[in-house]
Amino acid sequence: MQSLTNLERIMKAIKRQEPDRIPTFEIDIDARVINGIEPGATYEDFCEYMDLDALCYYEVSMDPYEVIDQARGVVRDQWGAIKRYAPVSFSIPVTLEPAIKSKKNLDNYASPDPDLPSRFKRIEQAAKKFKGKRAIIATARPFAVVRDSLRGQNDLFKDMIRDPEMIDRLNQITSDYYRRYVKNLIDAGADIILETADWAFTHGPMVSPKLTARFITPALKEIVDYCHSRGIPCLKHTDGNIWTIFDLIVETGVDGIHPIDPLAGMDLGEAKAKYGGEICLMGNVDCGELLSWGTKEEVSKAVKDCIRKAGKGGGYICMSSNSIHGAVKPENYSEMIRAIKEYGKYPLVH
Amino acid sequence: MIDLAELVSSVAEGDVSRAAEFTRRALNAQLSAKKILDNGLLPAMDRIGSAFENGEIFLPELLMAGDAMKAALELLRPELAKRGVPYIGKYAIGTVQGDLHDIGKNIVILMLEGNGWEVTDLGTDVSPEQFCEVVRKGDFDVLGMSALLTFTMPKMAETISALKAARLRDKMKIMVGGAPVTQTFTEKIGADAYARDAVEAVAKAKSLLKK
Repeated sequence: MQSLTNLERIMKAIKRQEPDRIPTFEIDIDARVINGIEPGATYEDFCEYMDLDALCYYEVSMDPYEVIDQARGVVRDQWGAIKRYAPVSFSIPVTLEPAIKSKKNLDNYASPDPDLPSRFKRIEQAAKKFKGKRAIIATARPFAVVRDSLRGQNDLFKDMIRDPEMIDRLNQITSDYYRRYVKNLIDAGADIILETADWAFTHGPMVSPKLTARFITPALKEIVDYCHSRGIPCLKHTDGNIWTIFDLIVETGVDGIHPIDPLAGMDLGEAKAKYGGEICLMGNVDCGELLSWGTKEEVSKAVKDCIRKAGKGGGYICMSSNSIHGAVKPENYSEMIRAIKEYGKYPLVH
Repeated sequence: MIDLAELVSSVAEGDVSRAAEFTRRALNAQLSAKKILDNGLLPAMDRIGSAFENGEIFLPELLMAGDAMKAALELLRPELAKRGVPYIGKYAIGTVQGDLHDIGKNIVILMLEGNGWEVTDLGTDVSPEQFCEVVRKGDFDVLGMSALLTFTMPKMAETISALKAARLRDKMKIMVGGAPVTQTFTEKIGADAYARDAVEAVAKAKSLLKK
């Protein structure tokens, strides 16, 4: 097959067609891994250097925030929550104090401005450089905002039983915000939207399928419908074991699901057999043990296994089972990319 | 006659005020706190534990049941202390250094307390030195370490090495858990047990007591 641009390769896979080879990208790549492979490279340079098919711009990195205690890594996020960044991980903060402690806080709550131009600068710059060549992916995370910034995990989950109206009001805040925000992302040049709120833990979904459908999936469906009205695919990320809510995710009309986490008991072959006809599968190369502590030979074998399980007929993007975090061995990530390019050529022979 | 089945169902259903009310009534009817714990709270925690493990209930129901259990336990604690009723065991637990995540750890604490353990919560971002200090001063049966980030998992191994260096390793059993942790990793670092969730943590902790 004639070789495709990176963008065409991703789009074909998302449409569950066979591209020239299986595409790859990551939702996040830690600077320590970038520096281990191509010292001093910017994220954009690194994506070009590794010939990744998409660049992914994580929403949180583009949101404004206020530093409260630099030494302890404490900030107030744009939603009003006080959060703390762990000393070794700069991407996953923990909520110390949510913005909404009672319904009283809701009455005079001022949502952040989804039209703030500074949010979209990186997407606009990426579009200038990569538009039509590599896919530009931007993320959104309505449920994570409600859970981690507005209400806090404990109260949010309990509200689902004791005060559903509270969650409806919180969901309305994020719905109003993301309607504008996603429009602006697409206007700025995003080719694909990726919704990144985690909905599951290792042993299963955070809340029952019934409550997932009541409180969580509608926000994704709204984004999916809007993206489709603009001719843009929408992908979904959630960690954890999602077997019991997989149908609900597919029913939103979302185009792809990431990361089919093997450590949470998600088998890629089984996902391909059950859902491969309806949705593009993404991920499954174990970044917990394998990419962090495994050998290059084990990485190569895992990539080959993933391609064998999910590559047939297209509809598979080979990625890690979460992200290329700081503990991933740079040589293992390089090997993963090499193996995808060797074993992922269509027609598949391995 | 007080029917403790009502207490069991009010805790399992996460009804805080009903759980407190039944506990008060049982105490007023001269039922011993030990009996209320054994025949009311423990069966309730068993019921919600297995329902959670079997995917019949989820985090919202578990957290509500936890609140109901705590409300009942608060009322029983003074009585239990007065009569010197022993805990099943003493458990210290913390999230390892560099990691601030605690929802998994908090669910484990909830289940352990509901099952009769005395739990010392060391919080998050606990350094190997802090773990050593706690073990040196306390008299724990089990030390639990939690990590959500792959990047912080090596801190579990470092903590075990620090405990060994301080000759504290054999003072208690060590359990580990958290999303990226596996049985293989547990064996590699020389911990005594791995639990994939809170229910398994309670069962494994109990079995470690017998060893």
